[in-house]
Amino acid sequence: MKTVIKTNGLSKTYTNTAVPVKALKNINLEFREGEFTAIVGPSGSGKTTFLNVIGGLDKPTEGSVAIDDVDISSMKESQLFDFRLNHIGFVFQAYNLIPVLTAMENTSFIMLLQKRPKKEMEERAREMLEQVGLSDKMNVRPSQLSGGQQQRVAVARALASKPDFVLADEPTANLDTESAFNLLDIMARLNKEENITLIFSTHDQRVIERARRVITLVDGEVSKDEQFERD
Amino acid sequence: MKILLILAWRNLWRKKRRTFITISSVLFATVLAITLMSMLSGMQEQMVSSIVRNTTGYLQIQDVMYHDEPSMDHALEYGDEVKKAVEQHRDYIEYTVPRIQGFSLAAKDMGSRGVMVKGIDPEMEDRMNGLSSNMVKGDMFGDGDEFAVIAEGLAGLLETEIGDSLVLLGQGFQGMTAVGTYRIGGIISFPVPEQNNTMVYLPLDQAQYFFAAPDRLTGLIIMVAEEEIVPELAEKLQEELDKEWYTVRTWEELMPDMLEAFKAREAQVAIFAWVLYIVVGFGIFGTIMTMLFERLREFGILLSIGLKRMQLAAICLIETILIGFAGVLAGVAAGFAIVYNLYINPVRLSGELGEVMLDMGIEPVISFSIAPGVFLYQGLVIFVLALIIGLYPVRKVFRLDMVSSSRK
Repeated sequence: MKTVIKTNGLSKTYTNTAVPVKALKNINLEFREGEFTAIVGPSGSGKTTFLNVIGGLDKPTEGSVAIDDVDISSMKESQLFDFRLNHIGFVFQAYNLIPVLTAMENTSFIMLLQKRPKKEMEERAREMLEQVGLSDKMNVRPSQLSGGQQQRVAVARALASKPDFVLADEPTANLDTESAFNLLDIMARLNKEENITLIFSTHDQRVIERARRVITLVDGEVSKDEQFERD
Repeated sequence: MKILLILAWRNLWRKKRRTFITISSVLFATVLAITLMSMLSGMQEQMVSSIVRNTTGYLQIQDVMYHDEPSMDHALEYGDEVKKAVEQHRDYIEYTVPRIQGFSLAAKDMGSRGVMVKGIDPEMEDRMNGLSSNMVKGDMFGDGDEFAVIAEGLAGLLETEIGDSLVLLGQGFQGMTAVGTYRIGGIISFPVPEQNNTMVYLPLDQAQYFFAAPDRLTGLIIMVAEEEIVPELAEKLQEELDKEWYTVRTWEELMPDMLEAFKAREAQVAIFAWVLYIVVGFGIFGTIMTMLFERLREFGILLSIGLKRMQLAAICLIETILIGFAGVLAGVAAGFAIVYNLYINPVRLSGELGEVMLDMGIEPVISFSIAPGVFLYQGLVIFVLALIIGLYPVRKVFRLDMVSSSRK
């Protein structure tokens, strides 16, 4: 399996605080195609910062991030916008759908920005909403969906454009147990079927138990990197 | 581009109350600007109209030398050329008022005063400035009458009364001596002392005879219904007349001091307008700021998932344009309704101020202008103001930190 993400000596220090905070310290990791990885650790361990840096939302202070052998840490902002749009999918903790668009439009949104043909876009969005079990909610706006349904639309949106990998920042944090398991089932299935690399930050045990790789961060450093066999 | 328009349009409908408040702030600013500027503009128009009607008229056809050397030798011949030129542009001209005037000496018994003798057509003069409404004793002369009407102050200075004779002595056309004795048939009062102590009115033909200038005028006043056409009409009339002999002067050329005073007033109005724009601008700015800070997280997310800053800025700008357009359109409609109502039912001023205005020959009302320019200009200014303020969210979008804002 090819390497999708490779970090090399990745460090991030926040200097806009009274005392500089070292959020990430010399992280060297590789993520391969189709992996289902959970980044775990206590609050403040650097999970979200790590996702932001490998997702191109934030810049490292030292080291580099290579995605498909392309170093994104030295890219200009405009290049990063294009890169993120075409290579990375995001799922956030608080659903983060566009409130004025329907489930179908939200799912198509990234593809629309990528200027995909209309027919292809609609077919893919419909397929993804069917995959996440929301084929009957296509024309419904987020405010009319439950939290779990909104997060499923967010997953459909992130995966619809077939990105190289999807970053999910605590996607189950706001969900009840049933919705969380439902979402995890969907994500695990899509990970296998679509062969999309999924990386979660979480301290939700339900997510950790599903992950085939669990990386533990403590104080911005990798303390454990474990592989598990899952069905 | 279509998706940006859809997002902007739906965003406006998403939080109807927020949109309504923002549109209302633009509407309120437009109504305020239109009402105040219409009032200031209306009062200015009223003042110009009153002053012009009581003095020079909007336009005058004069002998080419008269303005620089206002003597009877430079009285113009009121012949076919002038009459034809006026006739050619009758559509623009409401009416004309002929005048012949010059300084003379007025004497009664042992007293004498320098006076302004004005030969007038009383009917046309009345139409222009309601002259006969200022009569305090006797009558204004009519067709065929040969008496004089003098100002009340002058009558007092010369200790003269109705029925007395007044001797006038002055310089007539081409060195002729102007001499005449006239019975005083009426006394007229003016609020301005300069006029009240010097005016002597004679029937036009009597004054022409007195100045030995038959068929001559010192000026033919042209009155128009709309002040705006004055410069264009002046040019058109001048084209019909021989430039060597005749000149057409606007009220602005005839009263340069008055023009300066109006310009000074316009400058004051402009300062007032800018204070008003700053005040209403801050009102709109406050609403847009509240709207912006409510949406920072949403902006951060949109940027994170792939929307470019330029695209997000375009959404903000489209929203501002739509809000500004709706607010200004509604504001112009509401402003017109208010101003039109005040235009047809003007507020009358009573008390001392009203009396002073009446004395000055100005109707004591607060006039409002319904000139389309007031609505268009104020609407445009508020729209541009809203757009400029709307640039703040655009600037914010370009400086937004995606990570921190999407976590707010």
